[in-house]
Amino acid sequence: MLTINNLVKRRGTQEILSGISFKARPGRVTGFLGPNGAGKSSTLRILLGLDRATSGSALINGKPFAELHNPLATVGAALDGFGAHRMRTGRAHLRWIALASGLSRSRVEEVLEIVGLTDVAGKRIGNYSLGMGRRLGMAAALLGDPKILVLDEPVNGLDPEGIRWIRTFLRERAESGNTVLLSSHLMGELEETVDDVVIINHGKIVADGTLEEVIGNHSTLEEAFFALMSENSGNTA
Amino acid sequence: MSVSSSRKITLILGAELEKLVTLPLIWLTLLGTFILNLVLAVAFTSAGLQGAAGTQSILKIGLASMVYLQAGFIILGILATCSEYTGGQIRTTLTTIPWRGFQLSTKYLALAIVTIPMAFIIAASGVLSAFIMMRDTALVIEIDAVIKPLAGATGYLTLTTLLSAAIGALLRRTTPALVILLGHYFIVSPLLRDFLSSIKNYFPDTAGYYMYMPPSSDEINVLTPMQGTGVLMVWTLIFITVAIVFYRKRDA
Repeated sequence: MLTINNLVKRRGTQEILSGISFKARPGRVTGFLGPNGAGKSSTLRILLGLDRATSGSALINGKPFAELHNPLATVGAALDGFGAHRMRTGRAHLRWIALASGLSRSRVEEVLEIVGLTDVAGKRIGNYSLGMGRRLGMAAALLGDPKILVLDEPVNGLDPEGIRWIRTFLRERAESGNTVLLSSHLMGELEETVDDVVIINHGKIVADGTLEEVIGNHSTLEEAFFALMSENSGNTA
Repeated sequence: MSVSSSRKITLILGAELEKLVTLPLIWLTLLGTFILNLVLAVAFTSAGLQGAAGTQSILKIGLASMVYLQAGFIILGILATCSEYTGGQIRTTLTTIPWRGFQLSTKYLALAIVTIPMAFIIAASGVLSAFIMMRDTALVIEIDAVIKPLAGATGYLTLTTLLSAAIGALLRRTTPALVILLGHYFIVSPLLRDFLSSIKNYFPDTAGYYMYMPPSSDEINVLTPMQGTGVLMVWTLIFITVAIVFYRKRDA
């Protein structure tokens, strides 16, 4: 269970998050939706202990990230970008992560196989395509076989086959009782993958519920999203 | 300390060592430093061959390249910490090892483990090449007299590497860290020495010089090797502490 409670983040005079709250539950894929700059990545970064909240809390099973006993086995995270040094090989990158958590080298080979990177694992990451980099990020997130996945724009840069793979994979994870929180701005994609939707705009939550609840009377999630955005900008104006 | 904590230290130290040894830039820097040092040692020995004799001369000439070879270790220290910020690796590091002070301290330890043998080999190679070229002037080299300056040179290079790593961790970007550190060691400090002669011995590089260089009779206000070690160690610890404090408080 991921619990975001009244989270505020200020940078200088700018308020990036204005007291947001939501939950991501086990057995569900929660989609975290919003335009660029809405505060999605900031929320995920605070949740993962990378940034500090000005106030409020972001907890994983009731604990802040830094208090987790074995983070890699609890939460698998893949943020935007490769998250890896470009001069190292994909295999070497996964190996140091595995070493830090006491995982075996055979587990590295297993996750390389799962994400389909075995053939290029010996190549420098600098030579990887965007899609291969996303797969490497997923491999790192899966190393500790965690019950919770936090993914920032996971389908960004993936080819149609990769998108399909990730959709099926995340659905299977959730159906076996795991928690999946993923951020995205690709609504069509999200609609086919998620159970719950949280929409953020200008650092505020503007919708939070099951996919059906958020779509409401609109025909698609995309329409519901744009209706909420124009409502929201009308309110702020 | 509980068993699980000590196991955690071993695992994280292993991971930090793995990060260092799998980064090709680290080995290229060390190899480049080794080759450059040999070339310089041969050049200095050829230049100083006339009239020089005995163990002290071999040491002085063999260690004369230290001023230049320290650049390689400054680069090594900066690469060790700034490489975390290439390709967003820092996010992976902190989601794998979220205990920041602990993680950065372990990185310094891993860096020292890699640096100490390399610094000794590189410093010794300079002295050895001077000895080979000057063996006609000193048939027997006094081991005791050589080991102490070599240990001092190893300590100096290791502390300089750690100091550079701390400044790299503070600045987080390779180029500014290189400009500031190389600018200090090769331009600012040599210039300031003339203006601030009363406190020049408390600069990290000038204090560190006394860790390995045998004192000359014409120098005044010299530090002993232990005093030099103390001053450089204080500088290094101050910067390591400041870097850890900032690392714990800042957004990654």
